[in-house]
Amino acid sequence: MSDQTTTEYQAESPAREAWRMFRRNIPALIGVVMLTVIVLATSYGTFLYGGDPFEIVWAPHEPPGVTPEFPMGTDYLGRDLIAGLLTGGGPTLAVGLAAAAITMAIGISFGALAGYYGGWVDNLLMRITEFFQVLPALLFAMVLVTLFSPSLLTIAMAIGVVSWPQTARLTRAEFLKIKELEYVTAARAIGARNKRIIWKVILPNAAPPLIVSATLTIGVAILFEAGLSFLGLGDPNVMSWGLMIGANREYILDAWWPVTFPGLAIFFTVFAVSLIGDGLNDAFNPKLRER
Amino acid sequence: MNTSYILRRLFYGLLLMLGVVVLNFLLIRMAPGDPAVVIAGEMGGATEEMLESIREEYGLNKPLLVQLGIYIGDIARFDLGESFFFNQPVTHLIGLRIGPTILLVVTAQLLSIVLGVFLGVIAARKPNGIMSAFVSVFATIGYAVPVFWTGIMLIILFASIVPIFPVEGMQSVRLRDANVFVKALDILHHLVLPAFTLAIIYLAQYARLSRASMLEVLGSDYIRTARAKGASEKSVLFKHALRNAALPILTVAGLQFGNLISGALLVETVFNWPGMGRLAFDSILRRDYPTIMGVLFFASFMVVIANILTDLSYRLADPRLRGR
Amino acid sequence: MSALLEIDDLRVTFGTRYGEVTALDSVSLHVDAGETLGVVGESGCGKSITALSVMGLIPQPPGKIAGGSIRLNGEELIGANPARLRGLRGGDVAMIFQEPMTSLNPVFTVGDQIAEAIMLHQNVDKAQALKDAIALLDRVGIPSPDARARDYPHQLSGGMRQRVMIAMAVSCRPKVLIADEPTTALDVTVQAQIFDLLNEIQRDFGAAIVLITHDMGAISEMADRVAVMYAGRVIEEASADDVLDYPQHPYARGLIDCIPALGRDDHRLAEIPGVVPPLHLLGAGCAFAERCAHKQDRCGLEKPLLAAHGHHPVACHGIEEGRI
Repeated sequence: MSDQTTTEYQAESPAREAWRMFRRNIPALIGVVMLTVIVLATSYGTFLYGGDPFEIVWAPHEPPGVTPEFPMGTDYLGRDLIAGLLTGGGPTLAVGLAAAAITMAIGISFGALAGYYGGWVDNLLMRITEFFQVLPALLFAMVLVTLFSPSLLTIAMAIGVVSWPQTARLTRAEFLKIKELEYVTAARAIGARNKRIIWKVILPNAAPPLIVSATLTIGVAILFEAGLSFLGLGDPNVMSWGLMIGANREYILDAWWPVTFPGLAIFFTVFAVSLIGDGLNDAFNPKLRER
Repeated sequence: MNTSYILRRLFYGLLLMLGVVVLNFLLIRMAPGDPAVVIAGEMGGATEEMLESIREEYGLNKPLLVQLGIYIGDIARFDLGESFFFNQPVTHLIGLRIGPTILLVVTAQLLSIVLGVFLGVIAARKPNGIMSAFVSVFATIGYAVPVFWTGIMLIILFASIVPIFPVEGMQSVRLRDANVFVKALDILHHLVLPAFTLAIIYLAQYARLSRASMLEVLGSDYIRTARAKGASEKSVLFKHALRNAALPILTVAGLQFGNLISGALLVETVFNWPGMGRLAFDSILRRDYPTIMGVLFFASFMVVIANILTDLSYRLADPRLRGR
Repeated sequence: MSALLEIDDLRVTFGTRYGEVTALDSVSLHVDAGETLGVVGESGCGKSITALSVMGLIPQPPGKIAGGSIRLNGEELIGANPARLRGLRGGDVAMIFQEPMTSLNPVFTVGDQIAEAIMLHQNVDKAQALKDAIALLDRVGIPSPDARARDYPHQLSGGMRQRVMIAMAVSCRPKVLIADEPTTALDVTVQAQIFDLLNEIQRDFGAAIVLITHDMGAISEMADRVAVMYAGRVIEEASADDVLDYPQHPYARGLIDCIPALGRDDHRLAEIPGVVPPLHLLGAGCAFAERCAHKQDRCGLEKPLLAAHGHHPVACHGIEEGRI
């Protein structure tokens, strides 16, 4: 029986093994379910539920659970909170994803080039990275968004521009480690070009930590977007969870629900993403888990 | 520690600051529209004379490199320009508010490191124990909660349910004429909620990090040696292990400082804390660019200083790096 | 009069993902003052676990002392209270580890680390302990001990670090000194120096030494008596001369045949086929059976017991039956 497990274990590809580990990770599966529900609700919820999140439909500050038409109550203007929650998630998630993609693209390019070429390239790129780490990210993003007028795209770009240094450092460290390995030397020995070695040989092998990092970056980007919208720096024409909190902030002592529900929505989204990220991390590093 | 290293580090810090200045300069010029109008602030409804005097002061009619030279020269003299919204020099505005921000950020940093490391060390004693489970759940939650929302929830809790901490501002008006000691206590009282709100995310991260770091160190040979000597469990944990486990924590603490300042921005806004974050928020709403750029400059400056201090203390803490 | 250190029927188990495995199975050993007991065997045979059991340093969990007794001067150590064990560790029983490179704490000076051991067991102040530490560094043959005491481990070579470990181990004049592969990580020339040092120290302090090694050369140089271990059991025990000249157990014979001897080029260097079986796959029979040229049916079914069959105690059915 144990012999059989050993053979199976050896025959499995790393990706399949990771998937097998991930499938067994209950918190990670909870994360997947939570995120699926949130994504479905925010992408299709509006069509089913209807309702304009900006439209004033009822008396202000209707508490949740009192009027059957508005189970979560209304905000300070009398807008339906459920409509806001259902429409407000889409932009947040979209900006989170786009910003994470931009972050990974910049970070991986910088890190890969610095780690692979070393020498002055590494020096120059890492100095630039350090420079961007000196800028307080949210403040810098605020400046960018105000200068270039807020839209979902500028917000995503601003978040990407301030978040990439960590990814760059991680990628660089992985590249430094992997480029010394035999199969990279072998690839070089058969005359593969640098470009091919970087993207086709090293990058796939650096993928596990980068995938984990990408997942966690989505979470950070969502929080970032929420922070910017909370400060009133989001796209003013788009309802978002952060904006709902920011708009109702003045009245928290009169009504707790207009800020509590969007906050919980942000929390559960990022929580789900981070459960998935932790699950992926465990799946890629089975040894760490046994400790 | 050798002086040449410190000098090198300071010089590098200066270069970084120069980079920030150049970036500030470029950002204003890259923004759509006339830089003079940008500087005057779109909300200001600036008159033509005002714009002319701005053009004069910043040399906006001269070539770009000359403009940059003038800008760097001004900043070297700590002249960050004039806020047309507040009608005051930016350095003066920031000077009034940098103290509260430093107080908030440093308190939060210390709180999160001390409590987080303590939690992590306790958890590391039993890697599968209940504390370990608590630390990982707490860390995941801490990572996922928007800091401004935590602040708001705490305000609701402490303003209406258990009113034991003030939820707004830094000082009580009624204590304006009290003596220094009472005032200091009052500030600390006001500091509790903002500092805790800001600290909680990082507290969770440090707890998780120090647990992992301690577990790694506790498995090392020199810990076995310490036990073989007959050292007590307390000495093994807090002297032999923690001194080594602290090194990665120190690195992260340095890197986190910038994020902490970003967080302070939100927390100050939520709690009406009279710091630079609040100033940044106000000036961004008014598009008061000289002030915004000033805040960005000083915030980056704080990060550079924090990084230098981290580097130096890392060298002190790790004898393997000394004398290099 | 019983021996200074007596291990009697010791059984240690480890919880693993394959379930509970027996790492030590009815191990009995003893050593007297001034005597050196060599414990030999391949890695994974339980030598180090035996040493760590005596030190009370088995990580629990996953380890567990499931039975038997360890007595020092007649005092039972298994189940003794932790404070008493701490007093003995580094005091009456000291240990030198295999990896001098990693066994010293990188963030403390070597002088401090030796002084700590001294202060833990002797009633002296820090200054006196440091002075004693320097004297010990001198004693173990470290040049300019004053300066070296202020060095950090990374500033010393491997041989020097092992001398520091020895100085630390003997700092409280232990009655029993356990040396776990003390020279494995060192150059051959340094190995001989370390053995000389251990011999000298034994002469001076009259300590009992338990030398754990897989190196038969070290055994012939150091040991008075030898216990051969295989897969968690002692399979042969006798005076060093007897084991080296008349090894009985097929495994012991294999070990001796592995020693390259000068001027014996007629004899091809032997090797033992196969590897030590993983502990969770141990069956009911002799653990060596699968690698043994003399295996018979009984060997696979029944564990041989350590008993005097002819020359000296050995655990082997073949010898018991007079086949080998």
